[in-house]
Amino acid sequence: MDVTFRIRRLNPEIPGKDKPYWQEFKLSDVEPTDRVLEMLHRIKWEQDGTLAFRRSCAHGVCGSDAMRINGVNRLACKVLVKDLGAKIQVEPILGLPVLKDLIVDMEPFFAHYRQVMPFFVNDTPLPADGRERLQSAEDRELFDDTTKCILCACCTTACPSFWANGSYVGPAAIVQAHRFIFDSRDQAAADRLDILAEPNGVWRCRTIFNCTPACPREIEITKAIGEVKLAIMRGSPEGIIQVREVKHEG
Amino acid sequence: MTSLVLTITETLRYRGALGQWSWVLHRIAGLGVVLFLTLHVIDTSWSVFYPELYVEAIAVYQTPLFTIGEFVLVACVIYHALNGLRIIILDYRPHLWRHQARAAWIVLGGTVLILIPVFVLMFGHVLNFYNDPERRILPLAEVLQSQLPFAAGIAVALVAGVLYSGLHGVIAPTGKDAGRERPVGSRWEKLWWSFMRISGLLIVPLVFGHLAMMHVIQGVFDISVQGAAVVGTDLINQSGTSVEFVANRWNLLIGGIAIWRLYDIALLALTVVHGFNGLRYVLTDYTSGSSLLRRGMVYTCIIGALVLLVIGALALLGTIDQTAIEMARRAAENLHP
Repeated sequence: MDVTFRIRRLNPEIPGKDKPYWQEFKLSDVEPTDRVLEMLHRIKWEQDGTLAFRRSCAHGVCGSDAMRINGVNRLACKVLVKDLGAKIQVEPILGLPVLKDLIVDMEPFFAHYRQVMPFFVNDTPLPADGRERLQSAEDRELFDDTTKCILCACCTTACPSFWANGSYVGPAAIVQAHRFIFDSRDQAAADRLDILAEPNGVWRCRTIFNCTPACPREIEITKAIGEVKLAIMRGSPEGIIQVREVKHEG
Repeated sequence: MTSLVLTITETLRYRGALGQWSWVLHRIAGLGVVLFLTLHVIDTSWSVFYPELYVEAIAVYQTPLFTIGEFVLVACVIYHALNGLRIIILDYRPHLWRHQARAAWIVLGGTVLILIPVFVLMFGHVLNFYNDPERRILPLAEVLQSQLPFAAGIAVALVAGVLYSGLHGVIAPTGKDAGRERPVGSRWEKLWWSFMRISGLLIVPLVFGHLAMMHVIQGVFDISVQGAAVVGTDLINQSGTSVEFVANRWNLLIGGIAIWRLYDIALLALTVVHGFNGLRYVLTDYTSGSSLLRRGMVYTCIIGALVLLVIGALALLGTIDQTAIEMARRAAENLHP
């Protein structure tokens, strides 16, 4: 099939192209099962070598090729042409400074990520046998969903609150905080809840639900944010999430 | 401002689902209601302070422009209330998130379902009034002119907020966060988050009751009709002035308690604080780029809320005597010579 790509471009180094503009590319012999990322490669390799975009693993694991494709944030390596049709529009994710074409500066996004202390905190002595700190399957289940985040920024840059105000920590940072706040082995939940109780923390979330469908890992993001809000309200993550029955294998 | 323009254009461009549009409608509806609330608290207070002005304000309500506005207002209130309930449920029960889209459809459907009978009844009042050969309607120019003081007042509140913010910036340029090693959490935002949800729950029955009485059962056209029953009381509007209508309601004692005054005090306090904090959310969302403007918008909201609370409370605690009703009667006669 033939596919027309409409790509939002910008090159700050070339006068005349230093303002965002749209450019069309026509591709033929496209398989419906081709991914958008492969098509971007074909455009870059066959038609215009100056087209700039990020990608690393190309298999939905590294999270570097988040783009707004046909109006919705997704990973270019995870979306197939047959799900989009013969006209495909690609533009950079919104809310972060565009560096070139589809590449945005991720630093503000990672600054918010670092803000929530995205690392394990536990200063108590290790268990006597010197091995890992144990946790029940039920306790592990509480934050299982939020361990899946790959920091692609699809959610944060789909959020109207983040578009309006780049100092809002955004859904991704809250998801990452959730992963530690609800981890029974971690001891810094109170600090993270304090950080997220700031005006630019969870309260800028207006329960709009743009983040949840944008997540390529299908994390229940708005739910996770809601749980963090409730944990702040109650002053503790205890008892916020209903423990599901976990099947023990083996 | 760029932040607001960007959010509007990109919200239109982003293919967000129903959740996004629910948020857009919730904001627009909320802004509409706060705007009317501002006019309404101030002009209702005139029934106590300036009976002649109150007669004119009610005459302004009884014009085509405000009739259309009344229908829009009722739609805004009902949508904002139902969608607010949806948000409250999802915020306190996040695990129900999978039902959010269906809930958004239910909110839309429920709004339409409630609006059909409400609009039919309201339209009955409209037909009655506009078909009456003796009806008198103020010219549009006069109606618009009567709203100029409100526009000026809003502009003054905006400018005063920003000026005060500038002053604050000069006196305390470092801000309260300076020297703080790391955030300690904002107790205020936490309180506001709860307040918005709890007050929302309390406002819904109060406002629905108020709308039912003033827009559906009675209708704004009947409150200046001589001999008409006064809703919520067993009294008759003897003079046919809107001032007597208010007096009859506020002076009604049941078991020694002025129930409609209490009702209106609760309504005033909850809607003004809920409304202006909502306005603060909206205004600060789009002014985060400038601390001068952001702080200014906060002050504007505080000024607005305080003005309405003070004026509204003074009116609700005031008395309307026979002289005021007589003044209103003469004003009504002079209004349409």
